[in-house]
Amino acid sequence: MSAASSLYSRRKARNSVMMTLCVVAAGIGLAWLALILGALLWKGLAGLNLAVFTEMTPPPGEAGGLLNAIAGSVAMTVIAVVVGTPVGILAGTYMAEYGRFSKITVVVRFINDILLSAPSIIIGLFIYELMVRPMGHFSALAGAVALAMLVIPVVVRTTEDMLNLVPNALREAGTAIGAPRWIVIRSVAYRAALSGIVTGILLAVARISGETAPLLFTALNNQFWSGNLNAPMASLPVTIFQFALSPYEEWQQLAWTGALIITFTVLGLSIFARSLTGRRI
Amino acid sequence: MLSNEIITADVINAATPKTKIEVKNLNFYYGESKALKDITLSLPERSVTAFIGPSGCGKSTLLRVFNRIYELYPKQRADGEVLLDGTNILDRSQDLNLLRTKIGMVFQKPTPFPMSIYENIAFGIRLYEKLTKAEMDERVEQALKRAALWTEVKDKLDASGTSLSGGQQQRLCIARTVAVKPEVILLDEPCSALDPLSTARIEELIDELQADYTIVIVTHNMQQAARVSAQTAFMYLGELIEFDKTEKIFTAPSEKRTQDYITGRFG
Amino acid sequence: MTLVATANSSSEGRALREREATVRRFALTDLIFRSVAKGSAILVLLILSGVAVSLVVGAWPALSKFGPAFIGTESWNPVTENFGALAPIYGTVVTSAIAILIAVPIGIGIAIFLTELCPRPLRRPIAIAVELLAGIPSIIYGIWGLFVFAPFLQRTVQPFVISVFHDVPVLNSLFAGPPYGIGMLTSALILAIMVLPFITSITKDVFDTVPAVLKESAYGVGCTTWEVMRRIVIPYTRVGIMGGVMLGLGRALGETMAVTFVIGNAHRVSASLFAPGTTISATIANEFTEADGEIYTSSLIALGLILFVMTFIILAAARYMLMRIERRAGA
Repeated sequence: MSAASSLYSRRKARNSVMMTLCVVAAGIGLAWLALILGALLWKGLAGLNLAVFTEMTPPPGEAGGLLNAIAGSVAMTVIAVVVGTPVGILAGTYMAEYGRFSKITVVVRFINDILLSAPSIIIGLFIYELMVRPMGHFSALAGAVALAMLVIPVVVRTTEDMLNLVPNALREAGTAIGAPRWIVIRSVAYRAALSGIVTGILLAVARISGETAPLLFTALNNQFWSGNLNAPMASLPVTIFQFALSPYEEWQQLAWTGALIITFTVLGLSIFARSLTGRRI
Repeated sequence: MLSNEIITADVINAATPKTKIEVKNLNFYYGESKALKDITLSLPERSVTAFIGPSGCGKSTLLRVFNRIYELYPKQRADGEVLLDGTNILDRSQDLNLLRTKIGMVFQKPTPFPMSIYENIAFGIRLYEKLTKAEMDERVEQALKRAALWTEVKDKLDASGTSLSGGQQQRLCIARTVAVKPEVILLDEPCSALDPLSTARIEELIDELQADYTIVIVTHNMQQAARVSAQTAFMYLGELIEFDKTEKIFTAPSEKRTQDYITGRFG
Repeated sequence: MTLVATANSSSEGRALREREATVRRFALTDLIFRSVAKGSAILVLLILSGVAVSLVVGAWPALSKFGPAFIGTESWNPVTENFGALAPIYGTVVTSAIAILIAVPIGIGIAIFLTELCPRPLRRPIAIAVELLAGIPSIIYGIWGLFVFAPFLQRTVQPFVISVFHDVPVLNSLFAGPPYGIGMLTSALILAIMVLPFITSITKDVFDTVPAVLKESAYGVGCTTWEVMRRIVIPYTRVGIMGGVMLGLGRALGETMAVTFVIGNAHRVSASLFAPGTTISATIANEFTEADGEIYTSSLIALGLILFVMTFIILAAARYMLMRIERRAGA
């Protein structure tokens, strides 16, 4: 009796210790992340003013803004989405519709999942070899294509997942009325999966808007305003990278503020994207 | 005058029922397993035929052969012959989209498309016919009236098809099928997801539609088969056990297994 | 009567011909759409093969010059054009390994907390917060590491650790040298924070695949929460957790920006975790645009190739494991 009860109390004690450790782990994890966001807010807000959005990046030691970097980021992101989204949606469509039962789909899904988490700096090297070296110079276009390479796997994955959620009965109904497969896809499946596919695109935008590594040696950077896609272009992440590692206080401050802007953009996009579907992806 | 003609046509049909669909030695396979074994039967034009039998007996599979909807999935295949007005629809040269404009289908669960009520109907018409706005309005109204849904939805044609109740959704699907003017309508357990009141409305509708269409209905509800159909096929384990006038099947079946099933001894 | 019938059949004939024309058009458009979609799917394969081919081509001059010794050489000298990958590989592996060692127990702890202990109304918000944090760009972690975390380590933790382990054998060489703040350990800690949300959310997902009845029967025979987790849930989901860990490892290995800020960028293999070092991705990020000469650039691309091969193997293994558990959950 007493042996049994002491065994039981030992088990209970062990349980309490382990459960406490789990709570501590959660506390540590969340506190750590809170510390990062806190520092970001604290340091970033200090430099947040209108000039950040209206002035160009300054030379060392002077005040200025991030206008050309923000504009460059927006431009390259837009091109990347315009290039990458159709490819991603079509590939996802093939996998979920025409090729749902084919071997090629299994292979593409596997490869796509690897691309999804492949180091983005490798993508930068790939586009460097593919575009920058043959063209002989860095360019915004190369940067945008590098970002498009990151958009594609995200959109492929969500498109396939969302189309797979469309009930087969709906496809059968469309087919039974005499509609060819592509019209069933366009008018029935896409409509039914629309919010999910839009979520995927938004998540892809969130992903690339903070990417730095693939831009370092494709779009490079530019101190000045540039509308030329065939020339180096500034971007927010690369500017943050350069400014943060510089010895100049004004630059470091701008780096913090830029980091704050990116974080809020990414968080805002992710939250909005999730609210569209009401389920996680 | 017009109604007279139809009545005359009916009388003629009743006298010498013309065969609409003729099935000869049909086998069906899901991969390696055989789901239909050597089925042979003929369905008369402009009347209701019911397929009954316990679940897994192949009644839905048989229905799905008639518009070859099974072609959406790999490893499903049929051999034998299914003649629609004398043409073998299992032939490789048969265009599937064309076939499906002639043979419409309504499914077990209502499947309104994710678009407005109006668009749900217009979608199928627009595929094969170029109509003016007025003509289209007319056709949509006609179809909705035919499916006894018009009075309920005429003021909210722009509302989403999914906003309707289950019974209304199913009638919308019937309207959508009727709108493309098929010759045959396949109904795959159309009432199994509906309440008794909606079921009664659909049955009434089936009764009206048989004047113009050849109707095949799969049902697990024997009373329903008895109520709506002129002839009934009883299937069991992929075989056609008995096919006869509905009255005969339910009162004096010639097969013991049919007798056992309709008296509720199994299934 | 006959007249009406002929008129009827001729108009019906026209309708039928129109229908057949439409059907032919449909067949063509469907073929086009199908081909374009299939082409896009194949393009995904081509991207990955393109990455592999371009890296091999770019790395070829360096690989043919240095041979297999490239991997085992510590020297990295742009002046004499003598390059070796040992220091970056060492830094990559060590920082990632430490990061995983730290992040896995914490991640699993948080997952247990989320599935078993957390008050219900808080579960979803915390789970969502964890997922959102997984999406924060790595440059944010880098800038925080450089300006906040490294100075903090330099002022407080590192001097303390160095003095404590001063006379302990082995450990005194692990924690030796002046407290720079930046270095291998700092990078590893930052990486740990970065992969933590990944590991947590995948672990939580695979925990959710455990059939409730399995857990209920374990509780039914009187198991404590810890015993249910330790004896039932974790063994049941082992493969999935491993997949999540590998996915986190793949991420840590390839992570660039967070590490580049705080690694110190020194091409040497040092026993001390406080010493500055470098990783493959940090070396590429720091030196690529400044690299002059074909061999220098090619050596950097060769580093990229090594990283690609490493992450490909790890990620492929991770996906394979996660696929297995998904299949089981689906079955």
